[in-house]
Amino acid sequence: MTLKLSPLDAAHRALGAKMTEFGGWDMPLNYSAGTLAEHRACRTSAVAFDVSHLGTVRVAGPGAFDALQRALTNDLGKVEPGRCQYTHSLDVDGSVADDIIVWWRSAEIFDVMPNASNTDRIVGALQALGGDGVTVEDVGATRAVIAVQGPQARSMLSAVMPEAAAVGRFRCIDVDFDGTTIVAAGTGYTGEDGLELAVPVDRAADVWRAVLSVGIEPAGLGARDTLRLEAGLPLHGHELGAGITTLNAGLEWVVSWTKGDFIGRDALAAQKEAGVSPILRGLSVEGKRPPRADMAVMSGEQRVGTVSSGNFSPMLEHGIALAFLDPGIEVGADVALDARGTLLTAKVVDLPFITKAG
Amino acid sequence: MDTPAELRYSSDHEWIRVEESKVRVGITDFAQDNLGDVVFVQIPEVGAVVKSGDSFSEVESTKSVSDIYAPVDGTVVEVNELLESQPELLNSDPYGDGWICVIEISDPTQVDGLLDAAGYQALTGD
Repeated sequence: MTLKLSPLDAAHRALGAKMTEFGGWDMPLNYSAGTLAEHRACRTSAVAFDVSHLGTVRVAGPGAFDALQRALTNDLGKVEPGRCQYTHSLDVDGSVADDIIVWWRSAEIFDVMPNASNTDRIVGALQALGGDGVTVEDVGATRAVIAVQGPQARSMLSAVMPEAAAVGRFRCIDVDFDGTTIVAAGTGYTGEDGLELAVPVDRAADVWRAVLSVGIEPAGLGARDTLRLEAGLPLHGHELGAGITTLNAGLEWVVSWTKGDFIGRDALAAQKEAGVSPILRGLSVEGKRPPRADMAVMSGEQRVGTVSSGNFSPMLEHGIALAFLDPGIEVGADVALDARGTLLTAKVVDLPFITKAG
Repeated sequence: MDTPAELRYSSDHEWIRVEESKVRVGITDFAQDNLGDVVFVQIPEVGAVVKSGDSFSEVESTKSVSDIYAPVDGTVVEVNELLESQPELLNSDPYGDGWICVIEISDPTQVDGLLDAAGYQALTGD
C-alpha cells in the first residue's frame, strides 16, 4: 500500500523527522528532540503537530444539521455556528465507529473531522443518510491541519498570527494569513490549551514556517500519543471501536438522550438499562516500566480487565494506563498488570492523570 | 550512525567490547535510534548464566518493548545499575555510560563469530 504524504512532508524531512505509518499516512513520529522532550515542551511551553492525516468531511446544505443530528451522538442544538463539538458516530449495535470533532463553520456548513483511517467510512455513512438538501464531500486533500498546543501556544503564536491565537476554546473562526483565509479552532488532543489551524495546501509550508519561527517546537505522533494518554483521552482502535460503546468508554456526556433518535441510540439505551460493563478506568502503575495494550489486569488471582493503552508518563515519571475493568473494580482499588510474566503494581485512579497547566 | 571500529557486533544490534576474558555489552547507536526514547531497562541479574541468542534483558521505549539477546555464552558478572534511574543513557551514550552488563565468557572463540564494524554497517545499510 502506498502511504499518503502530508502537504508538509518535505518540511518534516528537512527537520530530520523520524517518520512512521499511521492510519495509511507517513507522518512524523518524532523530531530530533525526541518524544519525551517534545512531550514536556507541550506541557510547559508550546509545540506544533502536523495532523493533516485527520479527515475533513464537509457536510453542507439546508438538511445538514438534521442529517448530523441523526448520524452523531451529541446534540448540535447545544451549540451554534462558529462552535466546535466533540461527538461520536455509532454503529447500530452502539459500537463507536469513530470519534469526531465537528467544526460548525457557518449556518449550513459543517466540517466533520474523523480519524485518518475512518474517513472513508464516515463519508459513506453520511452520504447514506444525506438525502435531499445535503452534500457530503471529503475535502481533506485541500488543506493541511496544524495543531499548536501548550500553555504558551496562544501567547507565542500571537506574534505572527494574532487573530488565530485569540480564537476561543471550542470556537472556530476564519482568519486572514497574509492574504489567505485559514480556519482557526480552539481544539486539540493534548489536555493543554491550544488551537488547530486548517490551511489551504498551497500555503501549508508558509504557515508551518511562521508557527516555528516564534520558537514553537515541532512534535510528532509519539508525543501526541503520550500527551493524550496523560490527559485520559481515548484513541480510536484502543478505547473506542468495535464492541466498545460510548458508555463503556465513560463518555456518556457525549450522548444526548433528549435530542431525538440517532444511529445506535437503541443499543446504548438498552446497555444503560442493563448496566455498563466493562468500564474504562485509569491505572497509575508503580515504576518506570511502561504498561502496554492487551496486558491482563489482575485483582489477586482473578482477571478483572485488560489494558487498552499504556505508556511511561513523561510528567509523572511512572507508568500509566487506560484499561477496561469490571464495574466492581472502583477508583482506589489495588490491581496488578501482567507484563510478560512480571507483575506490575497499580492503583485505579480518576482521569485525567494530568490536569492542564494554570 | 556511529559504529566504533574497535567493537564487535551481533545481528541483534548489540555491541560487544572484549575485555580479556570478559565482554561488555550494550545496544548500538542504530538500535537506540530505532527504539526512540528509552524509559526502562530490565537489567539482568549478576550471576545469571546466559546462552548466546537467549533474551536476557528488555529495553522499553515510549514506542515499544525489545528483547536484548545474549551475544555469547557466559555468566553475568557486572550490571549497569545506573540504568535503573537513568535509562536514557542508552540513547545519550550507547557505547559508553549506556552499557548494560559484563559477561564472563565461556568460550572465547565465540567472539570470532560476531560481526566487525564493517559487517554490522553492511547489515544496517549504514
